[in-house]
Amino acid sequence: MALISIRSLTKRYPGGVTALDGLTVDIERGIVGLVGSNGAGKSTLLKILLGLIDPTSGEATVFDMDVRTRGTDIRQFVGYLPEHDCLPPDASATDFVSHLALMSGLPRAAARERTAEVLRHVGLYEERYRAIGGYSTGMKQRVKLAQALVHDPRLLLLDEPTNGLDPAGRDEMLELIHRTGTEFGIATIVASHLLGEIERVCDFLVAIEGGQLLRAAPLGSFTEQTGTLAVEVEEGSEALAARLTAQGLEAIADGRAVLIALTDDRPYDIVRDTIVDLGLALVRIEQRRHKLEDLFRDMPIPPGAGATATGAGATATAGASVAEEGPR
Amino acid sequence: MTAPITAGTPTGSIYDIGYRGYEGPRLGRAHAIRSLFGHSLRTAYGIGRGGRAKIAPFVLGALAILPAVAIVGVLTLAVRFGAGERIAEQSPIRYETYFSTISTIVALFCAAQAPELFGRDQRHGILSLYFARALRRSDYALARIGGFAAALLLLELVPQLVLFLGRSLLSPDILGAVRNDLPSIPPILIQGILSAGLLGGLAMAISAFTPRRAYATAGIIALFVIPGIVAGVIAGLGSSDIGNWLFLTSPSSVLDGTNAALFGAQLSSEFFFINLPDVAYFATAIAGIVGSVAITIRRFNRFTA
Repeated sequence: MALISIRSLTKRYPGGVTALDGLTVDIERGIVGLVGSNGAGKSTLLKILLGLIDPTSGEATVFDMDVRTRGTDIRQFVGYLPEHDCLPPDASATDFVSHLALMSGLPRAAARERTAEVLRHVGLYEERYRAIGGYSTGMKQRVKLAQALVHDPRLLLLDEPTNGLDPAGRDEMLELIHRTGTEFGIATIVASHLLGEIERVCDFLVAIEGGQLLRAAPLGSFTEQTGTLAVEVEEGSEALAARLTAQGLEAIADGRAVLIALTDDRPYDIVRDTIVDLGLALVRIEQRRHKLEDLFRDMPIPPGAGATATGAGATATAGASVAEEGPR
Repeated sequence: MTAPITAGTPTGSIYDIGYRGYEGPRLGRAHAIRSLFGHSLRTAYGIGRGGRAKIAPFVLGALAILPAVAIVGVLTLAVRFGAGERIAEQSPIRYETYFSTISTIVALFCAAQAPELFGRDQRHGILSLYFARALRRSDYALARIGGFAAALLLLELVPQLVLFLGRSLLSPDILGAVRNDLPSIPPILIQGILSAGLLGGLAMAISAFTPRRAYATAGIIALFVIPGIVAGVIAGLGSSDIGNWLFLTSPSSVLDGTNAALFGAQLSSEFFFINLPDVAYFATAIAGIVGSVAITIRRFNRFTA
């Protein structure tokens, strides 16, 4: 059974906004990136998994427990880092985090001990006795991570954990998340709209858009090589494309580049010779890789309700393949 | 940013003994509720917060206890002159008058401290961290209300305890004095619970609806003061019963009614003209407690965290 199992999960808010629309996916242990643009339904999904909001329809289980009925049991073993500010300015990090450890069911002595340990882990030392109001954004974000970790959860749900951080702060936060997920083996879901960050820490990706699953697969499969050769020249890409087409290649000009369909090694020689013949200034020849961004850029507009349902079914199979390759 | 100095540098790794999991007991929901109850009680008195947070609750607490201390002081003097018993009997500060003597202080305590609990959690977005833990939303609401009501109970009963100890210990016949005062204890406890429950419940219900401290404070004062004035005006205008019954919308009048019924005494002089059956006061007080708790729970169940 999967760590998290989601079956045709739908959430409609009273205002008529559909945040999740028949989402079906299995999520296994590991560091899983939940990607999607703003409003794709990422936060809503995390809140449903926590039992913070009820789904309109569909099923979701965490640790094989139903999120609707076993919320308190699930939450004993889940750490949550919300997207928004959630820290009182007048309390110290130590007081606040240990209070929340009690709220997770830890005995008082254990709560104190775990707080000290976890604050040290996130890199808060002497400043942990000072009021949080005086902290930098980076330090606040660390406190948010500490409170999510203090009760040693089996699952971490991080909602835009690098929100508001400068580049150095981002790097540190991502490093922390990576360590937490790999060294401590805590299953982690990182929701983010920043694909570059997700790429750096996650093993698996679950991409959602408009509340529906786009794709769920190991990270590598999102960025594998494509069968496209890109040839970039200073000028004359149109002429190059025409000559290449004349020699029987599938080639189209795309700005300064010419994109050539690649089935074997043959095009490389033809391209070289053609460029020499035309006397063009070559900038680069590279085999194109899929970019994570393509996932959203090439997204087809959902044609109709019926077709969308089939699409969701097909991608759900991709989700199952995550489940197969997932356990570590 | 100071963080990079401490994180990831070689000095940090010396102390880094690695992450350890937690294998100890997880006491779950009941433990979380108890802890939050205790936290709310302490926070109501500003304990665990900065020094400024303690000023209002401690000043009000001192004011609430002052009449009891004063009367015990007077008794001590009177005993020396052999007038102890007469003073004890005729003092205006007795068990049955104490609740109304300090009712303004209790109301101010509500207005000042109830918004500290719910307002702060809402203002800083802390609610979603509570709701993401091992308790239910209703647990959160009940633990907070319960902690605040317990704080009010302390505010009201500690002075009574001082009074009781003073009266007993200063009496020539200590056992006799205790025996004499024992029948007053159940009414004191019941009145204390009704008062703490009703005033605390109403104050918490109002502060549950706004993150803004000032609004909550104003709302609480309005609810405690305005109904009494309205009822007073209407009762003064007409001879009908409506004005009489309207006093049931005023928390302080209701508690005055239960107090009089419990101690078998007269209503305090300003309400001499109200003549409602005792059961009406008790029913209203209990309905007020249950209603305010239900409204608060509903509020947090619907809160989008």
